[in-house]
Amino acid sequence: MKKQRSSFSIRKATESRLFFPLIAFALVLVIDLILVPNFFRIEIRNGNLYGSLIDILRNGSTVALLAIGMTLVIATGGIDLSVGAVMAIAASVAALMMNPWVVGKELTVELQRLVMDPTYTYSPFWLVILVTLFVATMCGLWNGVLVAYVRIQAMVATLILMIAGRGIAQLITNGVRIQIFYEPYAYIGQGWIVLPFALYLVAFIYALTWLFTRRTAIGMFIESVGINPRSSFFSGISERKIKLLAYTFCGFCAGVAGLVASANIKTSDANNIGLALELDAILAVVIGGTSMAGGRFSLLASIIGAMVMQAVNTSMYAIGVPAFALQAIKGVVVILVILLYSEQVRGFFQNIAASRKEI
Amino acid sequence: MSEANHYILTMEGISKAFPGVQALENVDFTLRRGEIHCLVGENGAGKSTLIKVLTGVDHPDAGRITLDSQEIHTKSPQHAQTLGISTVYQEINLCPNLSVAENILLGREPQRLGSIDWAKMNAEAAGVLQRLLGVDIDVTKPLGAYTVAIQQMVAIARALDIASAKILILDEPTSSLDANETQQLFKVMRKLREDGVGIIFITHFIGQVYEISDRITVLRNGKLVGTFDTASLSRFELIAKMIGRSLAEFDEMTKIKLESSKHIESEAILEAKGLGRAGAISPLDLELHAGEVVGLAGLLGSGRTETASILFGSDKPDTGSIEFNGKTVKDYTPLGSIKRGVALCPEDRKMEGIVDDLTVRENIVLAIQANKGWFKHLSLQEQYDIADKYIEMLKIATPSPDQQVKNLSGGNQQKVILARWLATNPQVLILDEPTRGIDVGTKAEIQKLVLSLAEEGKACVFISSELEEVLRTCHRIAVLREREKVAEFSGEVDEHIIMQAIAGSES
Amino acid sequence: MLQAINIFVTKNRRFVPITATAILVVVAYIVGAILYPAMRNPQVFFNLFRNNAYLLISAIGMTLVILTGGIDLSVAGIVALTTVASAALLREGLNAWLVILLMLGMGTALGSIMGSFIAYLKVQPFIATLAGLWFARGMCFFISDDAIAIDNRIFKILGQTKLLIPGWTEIATSQGKPAPFISIFVVVAFILFGIAIYIAHYTRFGRTVYAIGGNEGRNEQSARLMGLPVERTKLLVYTFNGICSALAGICYSTFVASGHGFYATGFELDVIASVVIGGTMLTGGSGYIFGTLFGVLVLAITQTLIQFIGSLSSWWTKIVIGLLMLAFIGVQSVLAARKEGSKQIQDPQALAAARLRRRRQALAGSVVVVLVALAIVFVPQMRNGNGTETVVGTVCEVAPFREEEAASFLADGAVLVYNRTAGTPCVDELYAIYPDGRIVADNGTGNEPIEGQVDMAELERILITASDEYKWFTDNMFSTYHNPCRQCYAHYLTISYKGQAKGITAVDGGVDMQPEYGYTLSIIRPILPKFTVEP
Repeated sequence: MKKQRSSFSIRKATESRLFFPLIAFALVLVIDLILVPNFFRIEIRNGNLYGSLIDILRNGSTVALLAIGMTLVIATGGIDLSVGAVMAIAASVAALMMNPWVVGKELTVELQRLVMDPTYTYSPFWLVILVTLFVATMCGLWNGVLVAYVRIQAMVATLILMIAGRGIAQLITNGVRIQIFYEPYAYIGQGWIVLPFALYLVAFIYALTWLFTRRTAIGMFIESVGINPRSSFFSGISERKIKLLAYTFCGFCAGVAGLVASANIKTSDANNIGLALELDAILAVVIGGTSMAGGRFSLLASIIGAMVMQAVNTSMYAIGVPAFALQAIKGVVVILVILLYSEQVRGFFQNIAASRKEI
Repeated sequence: MSEANHYILTMEGISKAFPGVQALENVDFTLRRGEIHCLVGENGAGKSTLIKVLTGVDHPDAGRITLDSQEIHTKSPQHAQTLGISTVYQEINLCPNLSVAENILLGREPQRLGSIDWAKMNAEAAGVLQRLLGVDIDVTKPLGAYTVAIQQMVAIARALDIASAKILILDEPTSSLDANETQQLFKVMRKLREDGVGIIFITHFIGQVYEISDRITVLRNGKLVGTFDTASLSRFELIAKMIGRSLAEFDEMTKIKLESSKHIESEAILEAKGLGRAGAISPLDLELHAGEVVGLAGLLGSGRTETASILFGSDKPDTGSIEFNGKTVKDYTPLGSIKRGVALCPEDRKMEGIVDDLTVRENIVLAIQANKGWFKHLSLQEQYDIADKYIEMLKIATPSPDQQVKNLSGGNQQKVILARWLATNPQVLILDEPTRGIDVGTKAEIQKLVLSLAEEGKACVFISSELEEVLRTCHRIAVLREREKVAEFSGEVDEHIIMQAIAGSES
Repeated sequence: MLQAINIFVTKNRRFVPITATAILVVVAYIVGAILYPAMRNPQVFFNLFRNNAYLLISAIGMTLVILTGGIDLSVAGIVALTTVASAALLREGLNAWLVILLMLGMGTALGSIMGSFIAYLKVQPFIATLAGLWFARGMCFFISDDAIAIDNRIFKILGQTKLLIPGWTEIATSQGKPAPFISIFVVVAFILFGIAIYIAHYTRFGRTVYAIGGNEGRNEQSARLMGLPVERTKLLVYTFNGICSALAGICYSTFVASGHGFYATGFELDVIASVVIGGTMLTGGSGYIFGTLFGVLVLAITQTLIQFIGSLSSWWTKIVIGLLMLAFIGVQSVLAARKEGSKQIQDPQALAAARLRRRRQALAGSVVVVLVALAIVFVPQMRNGNGTETVVGTVCEVAPFREEEAASFLADGAVLVYNRTAGTPCVDELYAIYPDGRIVADNGTGNEPIEGQVDMAELERILITASDEYKWFTDNMFSTYHNPCRQCYAHYLTISYKGQAKGITAVDGGVDMQPEYGYTLSIIRPILPKFTVEP
């Protein structure tokens, strides 16, 4: 039997993992097109692209980064509720490293001026990034050890860091909301090279993760462990190591997201950074089609899922819906999406596509 | 004993088809009051479908069911229960976190002024156990604190108590029981029989069939072979009816086996000395030679699967050692075994074998990929090549290598698992119940395959509950009884001698 | 002796988690009372219940949900929605009892909607209740952006009535101390507590709840096969929790006498933590309502202790709670004898040996974690001496904002009026700054107001920064007042600049205060005159 090279067909398309997220995305955009005439307008200023569409991509970068790590964790059959808190910890570490004076609360005037200088940073930039990502990865490792080795349920284990993590983030900065003035750091969240810099970060992390999971055996092992850990054990796959890896990597992604988020607002706000973003990330993965029970995953679909959520957000702003109503609408949208994903509806669509092909 | 011709249940001309397969074709079945009636047949013979039709899980395409001279149409298991047909499944469907009394009376707890009367419930539950089963345990303890055998008793008690049961169906109840517990169950069954309950007993343990049943009904490929009085049917005849083999085929297999036995190496490739694990097996010795098929025979619970696990490394031994090619084994993990060249095809295909959402290709390459580690990725083309090779070699019926394994039939799933392990090119291949739940034709294929693997120079361990199979395929047979290795025979030995070793002091 | 203890523990294995929590509560309280004499005041004990009645009410409902193996994230949203909706309705003049009834009805409706999604449409509880949370919170802001004060007589009575403890009153008055009291809602909470225990252990519904959860989801299938009404029970459980959330919301609104969409942020985590620490496993099927009471007490005592220590900031609460959860969950996970996949019978002796080994490990591990947590909380204090004795352990009576006074200052020409209350120590400071830089301030003690002066250019700079850079007058800046934590200050700042005047409230330590508000405060505070603290 030769390898079946898949030829394009409607049926294949509907069975692809990207189908539903893309449909959802398209749906949101279509509604935007109808309601907001300028939505798709893209301006070019100073060689950079601006516009509502670009806003979606930029603002969705944080959740997209989280979603990449979260996809791997959910694929192993687990979940990570602490990513928001890890973002806050990462932001705190970064801000502290650039500006440790602020913690003392009393600043002389000269020190104040020094700190506010956009070219000043206490620690070199590369060190800041390195240490921040290291700390975030260690948080992920902590979660991984609890889940894989101490065998605590994922939801519970990561709940612990979710609760304690914000406390730790505040501890690091001694409760002070450290303002960040260092320009290169702010670039991470606010920079622009034709497209927002954050988007390139997402693409880079995605490429890295894709190589990491699909050009090695890791992706298959993650799926195998998520579907049937016991069979995987018998086949020689170490369930513990795979899970540990997934959670550690998720921590890493949360660290990157924390950098982007804090660069965006130029502050390390231990209370607010990443607040409720873990839920957005989980939903992005679910919209992307990865089952919460674990198993097959698709990174790209999760990223699209994140963009769908962001598109809903942005379109609401564009339409003029007040910020608070957004939450309520998000709630309704989530339920609709989930119902849409239920087996019955999915099968319904696939049947239609299949019967069309046979005609 | 009740009147010979008084049937409490008759099923006439039952037929049931599922897409692609005729599960039952014109099957008749009768059950008397106060009778233990065994329903036997290979997997796929239609036993479970017949029971599902009786209990209302499925609806028959044709035929009728009469209970106590009245025609019935069961709509659901609950409905069947109210009619007096109770079923106890192999998987204990109770709640281990609740007490025994609660499990018996869940949904019908005695109430006083609207709230549950615990004292009364406990007393009633204890009474049920005592009255119906003659069992006496502390009903206030959580169910999970008791062994599987006791839990089964509780399940039976619940099933009987709910509606004064006329018929009790026991679906493979002894699979998780040891010898003593089985005897306890039989004692209870005999008591129920005396009380006039009709019991349908499904089991694959031939010995138990002969020990407890009054009549036997044999199904094969969805058709009724016949209903017989146990006393007048010999074991050999029974097995012949179940698998319908002619003597000629028997001879053919024996010839192949004799041929291959010439290729057995004299040096042992694997030597297990004093290998034991607390709670699993007592220390035993076992030698495996290249080119030889060694069988592990014994009843379920005798320790065969445990032995296999320890040899493979999925369980660690407490005592003893294994020497592989002369070197003492230190790394007792599945991965370590794979690297050494030892493979295990586990007993539970669904839980320990297939990864059902993954494709055939991925399932096949899983173990070799694990062997290569995380970073040495087999390219897609390489994976397809390996998959194609084994699909052809083992004649796996699948539309493409990208088909999800869960869509394959049981036999083909087993072949996929086999392919996975063959692909690791092992020197020692341990097969735990590789033909269970597989159609007869595939069974023969696999048995022949095992012998040909031995001929290629591999050392094989073949575990099966079907003695005939073991005799047919193995050059040497080790017998396990109650977690101890009690004997070792050559493959030419007479069946009776092995059965005696399995049974122990009983004649 | 050790053998006897071992046997006893084995027999009553299911009660070990609760007993552990109970012991922890008692030990923590005793240690606290030893170190801080102020904590010996019996009112402190009763305040544990007064201040956390709403947490207890909500946790009781959540316990039943978690027992079925599910979870309900929406509780915080429903609580907030209840506070806002009831405040709004009361403002419209509706009868208080009618409002309470309506709120309970709303809780029922929301709970049953989510419950039906979970039970009949098979949506995962996590997702369905998350959607509910978002929906409920969103609805809050639909009703009102800002906090709405509650000025209803009946609500005031419900919130502020002091129920004296029979028997204690005489003892207290004989010692010349104020009689300890509890609030009405504490009684309500305990009545609910009793009802819940009855439901859980004496009704078929309750036993079905226990039957559904646990055994890693397999119980649910078994329950169905046994003919139990699984779907209906699940629906009822979430509906009941909806009612509890609404009731908790009512309790909360009587407590803080206002309603706001930003209340109860992160509340669902506190509730879940209480239930888990109280011994109920998140997998469901095991746990006791009684344990939840102790779980709530643990949270309450942690906060009280940290309050008393004073120098520890509020975020330590979160860390300690996290550590405690770790300890309890660790114990739970390890105690749950996990059967490894196959149905092989194991030698009972070997099984028992393995279990004993695991139990010892779990106990040791958790003792270590709890000791670490307590050490973190107490050791710094022991080094610094016995901690500062804060105001005699009584609740800081948060002074209401002096809105009328502020208004009169503004009418008088002031460009900036800043009122700061609460905090440790308790303050009630009002500063008014005039365009010429003159500052008038008083600290609510009735003493002469003090004066200060700021450079006019400096004042101008502050006003411009607040207006342009921090965008004070835009819609991005709005009030986020809520009941302040014990060390937290509450702020009410009004700025009048170029014809616009806007007053915004906020509280420290919350997740809701806008960063720009903080920045504004940080540029204003340095210029304010300081009150000398009397020794």
